[in-house]
Amino acid sequence: MGPYLVRRLLIAVPVFWGITVLSFLIMNMAPGNPVDMFINPNVPPEMRELRKELLGLNDPVYVQYFKWLAGVLRGELGYSFSSYAPVTELIGARIGPTLLLASSSLAVGLIIAIPIGILSAVKHNTRLDYLMTGLSFLGTSIPPFFLGLGLIYILGVELKWLPTGGMKTLGGDGGFADIAIHLIMPVLVLGMTIAGKKVRYVRASMLDVLGQDYLRTARSKGLSEWAVTNRHALRNALIPIIAVIGAEIPLLLGGSIIIEQVFQWPGIGQLTMEAILSRDYPTLMGLNLVAASVVLLTNLLIDILYAAVDPRIEFN
Amino acid sequence: MKKKSLILFVAIFALLISACSKPAGPEASPSAQSAGESVTQPVQETPAATPKILTIGIVNAPVTLNQINTQGSSASLAPINLLNDALLDVTDEAEFIPKLAESIETTDKQTYRIKLKENARWNDGTPFTTADVAFTLKAALHPKVDTSFQLSFIEGLNDAGKLDEGVTEIAGLNVIDAATFEIKTRSPIDPLVFNERFGVKVNFLPQHILKDVSPEQLATHEYFQRPAVTIGPFKFASYVQGQHVEVTKNENYYLDVPKIDTIFIKVLPAANLVAQLQTGEIGMNSLPVGLVPITDYDKVIGFDNVNVTSAPASEPAELFFNVEKLPDKKVRQAIAHALNRPQIVEKLLKGQAEIIDGGIPSKHPYFNANIKNYDYDPEKSKQLLKEANWDASQKLTFLIPVGNKVREQAADILVQNLEAAGFKIDVQKFDFPTLIDKVEKGEHHITIFTRDYYIEPSLYFTTYKSNDPESVIRYNNPLVDELIQKGEQEIDEAKRHEIYNQLQEVLHEDVPTLAVYSEKRLQVVSKDVLVGKPLNLGTFNNVNQWDLAAK
Repeated sequence: MGPYLVRRLLIAVPVFWGITVLSFLIMNMAPGNPVDMFINPNVPPEMRELRKELLGLNDPVYVQYFKWLAGVLRGELGYSFSSYAPVTELIGARIGPTLLLASSSLAVGLIIAIPIGILSAVKHNTRLDYLMTGLSFLGTSIPPFFLGLGLIYILGVELKWLPTGGMKTLGGDGGFADIAIHLIMPVLVLGMTIAGKKVRYVRASMLDVLGQDYLRTARSKGLSEWAVTNRHALRNALIPIIAVIGAEIPLLLGGSIIIEQVFQWPGIGQLTMEAILSRDYPTLMGLNLVAASVVLLTNLLIDILYAAVDPRIEFN
Repeated sequence: MKKKSLILFVAIFALLISACSKPAGPEASPSAQSAGESVTQPVQETPAATPKILTIGIVNAPVTLNQINTQGSSASLAPINLLNDALLDVTDEAEFIPKLAESIETTDKQTYRIKLKENARWNDGTPFTTADVAFTLKAALHPKVDTSFQLSFIEGLNDAGKLDEGVTEIAGLNVIDAATFEIKTRSPIDPLVFNERFGVKVNFLPQHILKDVSPEQLATHEYFQRPAVTIGPFKFASYVQGQHVEVTKNENYYLDVPKIDTIFIKVLPAANLVAQLQTGEIGMNSLPVGLVPITDYDKVIGFDNVNVTSAPASEPAELFFNVEKLPDKKVRQAIAHALNRPQIVEKLLKGQAEIIDGGIPSKHPYFNANIKNYDYDPEKSKQLLKEANWDASQKLTFLIPVGNKVREQAADILVQNLEAAGFKIDVQKFDFPTLIDKVEKGEHHITIFTRDYYIEPSLYFTTYKSNDPESVIRYNNPLVDELIQKGEQEIDEAKRHEIYNQLQEVLHEDVPTLAVYSEKRLQVVSKDVLVGKPLNLGTFNNVNQWDLAAK
């Protein structure tokens, strides 16, 4: 496994580099730039020119890129064009809430999806199965932003049970309970979406395993149906699910952009939107780096996990 | 192996959760402490009331707290104005009131003598003196420092409003004693210009905190991320970018200490703003960047926990014509007559707006009230087009910025009006940076946006100058150039009025721009707020008098 890891990590380096080059180029091709953002006719052109000079925007793109790359190699991601805050600090402050939201949603999604998927598979082609798959279809097809706004209206505005957004009550204690209560709605929305997708995977995978010979063997040994389903079938059925979950993690980090907007969750998604709209190049590049790392790392992790849980797979 | 897999699965899951609860931990603990304090405080002191906390809703996020470089971000001005006092502040009637300045006097409109308030001091107790003024100006005007100050009228500065490379002294700054200094301008200017650009828009840096920072390092200095020492009614408490800014009252304030303990400026989308005004999570909206969509007027009026008022008509949404592509003024006039603006005001804006043609809001002292608006007259429009021999097959590109929903909807109506009048319209919607890029390349026939509010009238007209290659309108009119220049140089108020009245008439006839509607923005304020409301201009000029009902 050691050499495999080293090889994978070595391959990751050029991939990483390629990603930075591409994103830097694409970002610079986007129309507009950070200085001309505010068309304030009383800002003299001399002043705008000076700003461009100060931000280094007058250099050719490749010079700008290598300056940035040199910074990254020194461990610096530079400073935001708009707030002049260090990019590492900006991202550092946002990554926690995003991870919290993503992991809670994933957990909730799986807690819903796995039992329902199993039940659906075990009782397949019954009314219960149709109901469950129908619900999961609903979960995937309702757009999350719509569900979010609906929940805000019902639970926040009408019933006043839950706060309508944010991560903490302003001026409140900001403790565990406070954060938890703010988490409920966004997690519910994201969790539902994840559950909707995953139910079908779990069901299919379970069905696949349930037809295997070794389950007949297990039953013929006199094992209870409970033991057969949970000990023998489920464990094997979950193996392919790991890959699916792995693919979900980067999606979750990026895909919560909308949910973070709807619920004003102070995460990476919100920062990304702001950075795009203000053409804040250093922050955008920092975010790209984070996104690329997450994708590469989760892929690696999933491969390792996969091999660990499934003895049929070997590293080579 | 199967057991292993289960263990692994559980382990990974536990890892994820612990990794995530970690970042929440340190963030949670300090605020938990402060909450602890606020709980114990009333017990320790007298049985005083709970802290008075006001939350102000804002739709765009403040991007910076840097008081010498606001980056043209109106949203940033809210926290910056709470944290910093300037020499003057301004009321919504565009009148100047003294803050740090005891007096600003001039006899020749070229040398301005400023006396500072004797008791003025930073929130750490350090006296505020002319040394801070000199330090701030030298720092902000250094060629390597990015600033939003626009002081090119001061003697010794170049056209970019900066010191030339290598120059360290400002020729136009003369410090007389610790409380008195003079600013000399290149040529005499209207005190209005001085008061707005120097009096109101120059905020100060504490010399005793920043004196050892080199100009190159200034912008990224951590002071600007957490500006603890400032000179304003409130002081910095916390800032979560894109979320909120928290300020607490400055007990050391040199004027009356504020009655409100804490103000939060909270960032949220317009839809949530309305919802949270209803739930009481937000105490008031803010202007101009915390707009309650006027389309929600009927809804907001129905909330029983808020008072709803309308501010005077504000800076209008304006159409900007690319005069290079629409050179015939008859065509532009035809467009003006084709637009059913009364319908937009009545139906879309629920009557909460007024119609003007020029860019200067009707409440502005330099507004020319004698101008008669282009009325909605499709027949006249057609006739004008005929006279201009308009080629009806020509397609007009109409660039619309997204973001302001009401303006987008108004633009949609305008497009229908234009199509009804026989124009072919190619509508393109973009985010603002993209739109500006296209406008600068001249890809538009028409575009629409809203300008800032300027007290100084000349600022409304710089866009009509003919020498600006990147101008939105690419307009060229020697008479207008002449009047603009005259207006900028004239220092007699009555004569200035004459010049600007004439200028507005010429521009009205020529229609390089056309205002569509001037919104009476909604001021939605919780009934718990006894004093204080958002204003078009100078919202926080008396924030230390603001008060909330005791709970």
